[in-house]
Amino acid sequence: MTYSHLNRRLHLYLGMALLPWFFMYAISSVPFAHNQFFEQRDAAKGLPLWTLRAEHTIDMPVPHDPAGLRALGETLLEDAGVEATSYGTYRHSPTQVNVYAYSFWTSTQLKYFIDQKKLTVEDRRFRWDHFLTGMHARGGFEQEGFLQLSWSIVVDIVCVSMIVWIASGLVMWWELPGQRRWGWVAILAGTASFLFFTLRL
Amino acid sequence: MMMISKVVRRTHMYLALFLFPWVLMYALSTLAMNHRALFVSAYGEGPVPFVEERRLVYDGVFPENAGLRTISKQILMSVGLDGAHGVSRREDGAIAINRNDLVTPRRLTYSPADRTLVIERMHARPNALLERFHRRRGYATGYAVDTTWAVSVDLFIIAMVFWVLSGLWMWWEMKVTRRVGLTSLLTGAGVFALYLLTL
Repeated sequence: MTYSHLNRRLHLYLGMALLPWFFMYAISSVPFAHNQFFEQRDAAKGLPLWTLRAEHTIDMPVPHDPAGLRALGETLLEDAGVEATSYGTYRHSPTQVNVYAYSFWTSTQLKYFIDQKKLTVEDRRFRWDHFLTGMHARGGFEQEGFLQLSWSIVVDIVCVSMIVWIASGLVMWWELPGQRRWGWVAILAGTASFLFFTLRL
Repeated sequence: MMMISKVVRRTHMYLALFLFPWVLMYALSTLAMNHRALFVSAYGEGPVPFVEERRLVYDGVFPENAGLRTISKQILMSVGLDGAHGVSRREDGAIAINRNDLVTPRRLTYSPADRTLVIERMHARPNALLERFHRRRGYATGYAVDTTWAVSVDLFIIAMVFWVLSGLWMWWEMKVTRRVGLTSLLTGAGVFALYLLTL
């Protein structure tokens, strides 16, 4: 197998294996890029986004350090009977802590009102645009669990693959002498446009 | 058929050659966001700090009953910083303008009481720059350059879909790669489906 052959096969098979991610990132960029359209479309339905599932009375100290706050979030989820694959705990205000538990398909929000000793549990109505943007934005290494961490590793692999596609694509272009002139035009025009945006935006 | 195949191949390649800076930027910025914890440990928690750049007395006159957007645009034009921005009035009456410059975001604070204008620029950090690039989109700013960028983002989305579809087309044309290609595709789709069902 020659280097050229290997390069072509790498470009192709990486693309085939990671096609679902690449396609997902493309489609899920639409609701990000046209957020206002999707928000207006949903607002026209007149449906509430969050529905109250339950209310509990609790009294717990709120730690200030991030690890302690995350542990509190886990305890609140357990106490409220919410099963979560991934979650984040945020200090919304001096008197409120929010826990946001999510999967690709569902989102649940816990609000702990410290001064009222009250915990509310709310479920978010399913929306396809939120499903897509949630998948697009999923990443990071803050969550526990093998699947959660492996998803983030795959995100890294997709990013590195994009760089590999650029490099292997350039090699394939260079191997077509008849395409070099117009190829240079495309590269220089793209680079100039990108630089223009970098300096003017 | 040969002709269609050639057009598909050339479009796949030239679109990629033109859009490669976008591909590179989205790849690097996603890596930076996926490893945000590394940057937090390097730079610390919290928002990126601002440093004072200029302080001056602004002696411009605003039209009577001017709205916040009118005031902010006039101030930005006066100091040569016109562009996409957000504006709000603080509780103390000062007007805070966040100029969303891609490379150097700035915060301008105008105090009507003493007509002071303070211009601060955001500390330069590579991950923050990449993240701003990644998140820049939308047609709402009213500035032509931002609208053109939003069009380029839409073009990039269309290009991604085209690369997927044309890639499948080109793969299917190469009979010798069908078996391994299908195995790769099914493996990827299987793993993706597993994540969809479990995460």
